Amino acid sequence: MKTVITSSDKSILNLGELKSYSGLFKYLSLRDVSVRYKQTKVGFAWSILRPIINIAIFGCLSILVDKSQSPSDKFLMVSAGIIFWQLISTAITETSNSLTANANILTKVYLPKLILPLSSLLVCIIDFFIAFTIFLIVFIIFKGLPAWQIVFTPFLLIYGLIFCFGLGLIFATASVKFRDVKFILPFIIQILFYASPVFLNTEFILKLNIPEFVKVIYQINPLVFMLDAFKYCIYGSFENFNVLYFCISFAITFLILVVSLKYFLNFEKSFADYI
Amino acid sequence: MSGVIIKAENIGKKYTILHSQRNENNLLLGSVASTVKSIFNFKTDKKVSEEFVALQNINFEINKGDRVGIIGRNGAGKSTLLKILSRIVKPTSGTIEYEGRMASLLEVGTGFHGDLSGRENIYLNGSILGMKKNEIDARFDEIVAFAEVEQFLDTPVKRYSSGMYVRLAFSVAAHLESDILIIDEVLAVGDSTFQKKCLGKMEDVSANQGKTILFVSHSIETVLRLCNKGLLLERGQIKAIGEMKDVAKAYLDTNTGLHSKRFYDRNDRHNPGGDKIKLISVIVHDANFENKEEFDITQPIGISMEYEVVAEDLIFTHSYNFNNEEGINIFNTHDTVSDFRKEKREKGVYKTTMWIQPNLLAEGVVLVNVAAIKIEPFTILFHELSAVSFTVMDYMRGDSARGEYMLGFPGAVRPLCNWTTIKK
Repeated sequence: MKTVITSSDKSILNLGELKSYSGLFKYLSLRDVSVRYKQTKVGFAWSILRPIINIAIFGCLSILVDKSQSPSDKFLMVSAGIIFWQLISTAITETSNSLTANANILTKVYLPKLILPLSSLLVCIIDFFIAFTIFLIVFIIFKGLPAWQIVFTPFLLIYGLIFCFGLGLIFATASVKFRDVKFILPFIIQILFYASPVFLNTEFILKLNIPEFVKVIYQINPLVFMLDAFKYCIYGSFENFNVLYFCISFAITFLILVVSLKYFLNFEKSFADYI
Repeated sequence: MSGVIIKAENIGKKYTILHSQRNENNLLLGSVASTVKSIFNFKTDKKVSEEFVALQNINFEINKGDRVGIIGRNGAGKSTLLKILSRIVKPTSGTIEYEGRMASLLEVGTGFHGDLSGRENIYLNGSILGMKKNEIDARFDEIVAFAEVEQFLDTPVKRYSSGMYVRLAFSVAAHLESDILIIDEVLAVGDSTFQKKCLGKMEDVSANQGKTILFVSHSIETVLRLCNKGLLLERGQIKAIGEMKDVAKAYLDTNTGLHSKRFYDRNDRHNPGGDKIKLISVIVHDANFENKEEFDITQPIGISMEYEVVAEDLIFTHSYNFNNEEGINIFNTHDTVSDFRKEKREKGVYKTTMWIQPNLLAEGVVLVNVAAIKIEPFTILFHELSAVSFTVMDYMRGDSARGEYMLGFPGAVRPLCNWTTIKK
């Protein structure tokens, strides 16, 4: 086996190498999972408490704003939104921080660096599953079995993670050189939150008296599709589905992924010099 | 057996450094104040970019099974070369080809996490260093036995003593399976018994397992013992290459080696003093200001540094740190006496002398770091590591702390203490 080190700036996506480091992927993921709630009093209960606190806040808020449904229905709907949103926001944040958080490894040892953002995702998935399970139990108690469409959830999960990974990878790469990202990121997450149907329904937004082009922009946001689709998986109805907007939002997700990978690969070799 | 395993051609590494003209301190208030100032003066920060050549024209070939010691003073480019070889940073020019699997050990315990148990850290650290799970499984017991941490495998490593921590970390790395092993001075840690064990393990790895090893160290003694080939770097270039003995001799013979006096070129932009102070010389001498390599333990030892202050309005004091050959910091001292330390200095050449009292240092080699520091706020103007070295000798006349005792005498310092015994 021969290895050649050159002075070229760009690297290529080497999936074979990534695969040979699958053990590392596993242990980094496990590290993040087992370290996450260390030295906290309630431990893993935080992965339930965080969504519950959010649901309480935004459930009340949404009842005040949108009175079209009964409060209990509203609360369940908001819960679904918050749970999926929590996955999106933590996945973006964790991916964005994955390179700077592992700076000590990046400057001391060679490894396929893409493994760091990839391995930061597992922790978000586990948090999601814990919260989702609790949600389903509550849902079944109040509303009976969810729609059969629930079988689509895993696909939606993968789609959501691809979106978060792409977006997060851009921030992660930028943050190697510019730590400003750390301060900008919370605002971006906040904007995404209000630009998505997390605690208000898409129907409610579309009925608002706002310019038409804003509604179009709103609907091509990949997160709008994801959150609506997640509610579809549980309730089985998708009122505002629009094939054109879906295709555009899908293209946006794909574009983000391609751009982020390209950006990452262009700078990957210089990480240790800047971090 | 023989055959080229690593071939480096024309390796170079340049860094671009941006100097901002303000600075002095990066404290929040200072930077806010100077930003405001620059707005009102309509001046933008002048950013001066300077190219720093860390390595250039590095060409070498390493044969399979060679143990290569890489030596050179601080800043000679040793670590940069290792980082390029281990693919952590990329060279700005040139190519390197190597055969087989390479493992690099630039730090003990890369990726160790304090909250994880010893067992979990073995797997995590091993996989970071490039081991597969089945390889770690196969050597797990060996790793644990070598580190001597059997009882604490399920304790979080943050509860480990620093000795245990280092032992475990080294042990994982020592059991790496690779064809080429790159090691930076990681042995400068742990207690001396364990250091010996590590050295033994490395000898075993290189001699019996036929691995190719690249080893960076400051300790000539260690590289002479471990390595058969040597590579001497000076200011980013290869100064000597070949048999370890010859390279070590070249290192000690030239100015790159350590002596009890050292002169610096004031016009060299690599002058350790930087752009505000130019270091001229550092000399170790006896009470008569005579420069020597060896000093009587019962006599005072003086250390003088000469420097030129080139910037306006500098306030600083002088500092020396003393280390012994094992890298143990014996003591630090800074000037708390001279009136200069609180005043803005006039430009010009100064000479500062400090005296070490008799009967303080233990026998052996002492390395001196020289620095200029500002106490409030604490700032380091320059800090030249291992600027000079000298040897303390006990001539066994019976007037030192040894008295009539002639055998091995441990301890970093050897003061002559007062003893009284009365019969009650």
